[in-house]
Amino acid sequence: MAHLADALKEQGNKAFKNGDFLEAEDFYTQAVQKFSRNPLLFTNRANARLKLQRWEGAVNDCLKSLEISGKAQNHKAYYFLAQAQLSLHHPNEALSSALTAYEQVRNPAPTTKTSPKDLETFSAFVLKCKKAKFAVRDRERLRRQGDLRAEFENTLELNKQRDLDEVSRDLQAGDLGQVEAYERNQEILTNFENKRAELLTVFALADPSHHKPREIPDHLVDMITFEPMHDPVMTINGHSYERSTIYEHLKRSKTDPLTREPLTIDDLRPNFGLKAACDEFWDSGASDWIIDW
Amino acid sequence: MAGMSSKRLQKELVKIQGTLPPGISLVSAPDLKEWQMDISVLDNPLYPPADKYRLRFTFSPSYPIEAPEVVFLAAPDRNIPMHPHIYSNGIICLDLLDSQGWSPVHNVESVCISIQSMLASNTKAERPPGDKEFVRSNRQRPRDINFLYHDPTV
Repeated sequence: MAHLADALKEQGNKAFKNGDFLEAEDFYTQAVQKFSRNPLLFTNRANARLKLQRWEGAVNDCLKSLEISGKAQNHKAYYFLAQAQLSLHHPNEALSSALTAYEQVRNPAPTTKTSPKDLETFSAFVLKCKKAKFAVRDRERLRRQGDLRAEFENTLELNKQRDLDEVSRDLQAGDLGQVEAYERNQEILTNFENKRAELLTVFALADPSHHKPREIPDHLVDMITFEPMHDPVMTINGHSYERSTIYEHLKRSKTDPLTREPLTIDDLRPNFGLKAACDEFWDSGASDWIIDW
Repeated sequence: MAGMSSKRLQKELVKIQGTLPPGISLVSAPDLKEWQMDISVLDNPLYPPADKYRLRFTFSPSYPIEAPEVVFLAAPDRNIPMHPHIYSNGIICLDLLDSQGWSPVHNVESVCISIQSMLASNTKAERPPGDKEFVRSNRQRPRDINFLYHDPTV
């Protein structure tokens, strides 16, 4: 049965490449029915379901895939799981899945295949989850204080969610094409971000002492991407960078970005002290919102 | 990944809109792909302080891992400055702009400062050797040209 499943999987992969995610999902489902012990069938179907915005289905597939692969490395399943969890508004769970995926590609098991872009992609996603978690906690705190801004923000968030859910429903009912659904989603998200930014600006102007944006301290920011770090590594001259960005730089030029001295991945050392400072920043009960993520 | 340059450029733009060193100003940044900057030189008689020169920055999605493309633009009130490393079509021969010399810790502001100081320290009002031939025949993008840095001191 396994070879039948493989053939169906190939057809699924082809449909996926062509952007026909419904058809891909269907082929993977048929493959699962032939032979359900291949974790890749489930991760591939999870990926198709992510594209179709069937978040719960994607979560189930990832969990099933992880159950089959047991202790073996399965970073794709964790990464897809993290995406589905974030879309379902579980930033804590999403962060923990994303971190597992990140750790697994950072220290891959000898036989596993990883793509050179994985580290960068996963690192960016870890950051996204951290920001989501941070934002939720910030709103929670304000809500407990009975803050008006948090209430408005929540309403915006709920409206956004309602609109997104509607698009998902229409997509699944076939009333909406994939391209159209994607464009709608982008529009909803842009709209939401604009309104939220406006709201925060108004509050910052009205009551600077409570709503003033907070700057991220420079020493926690990666000098290449200008994003806050979560896994800083130090070069021989003592400067630290986010691991995935300095790896990306070293792929093109084996030099220290500041001094131009020769530098390789083996010269980098984890900077535990700075990592602790970054973690502390992420965990600090946000006293203010952060400008311009 | 596609997101790297846009995040970083958004942040650079916020900084640039705040303060810039004397003689450097932002002209336009309509999107996160192409920006224009003006620079002037403050203390070199070859370049009167009132003259401004227009620079065009073009960013790839991999910026700042990849260098931006930076050239001088000619406009009715903007000339291409005379310099032994600047061709008359605006292409600049500067090591930090090619893939060997670029470093991701550079940014738009630091590139402007480097070009400004390259002009400030110049003493020869001339074009690079072979300028006419180069301008006529070159169809390559600046980053693909292998310049010979015959004079590392300028």
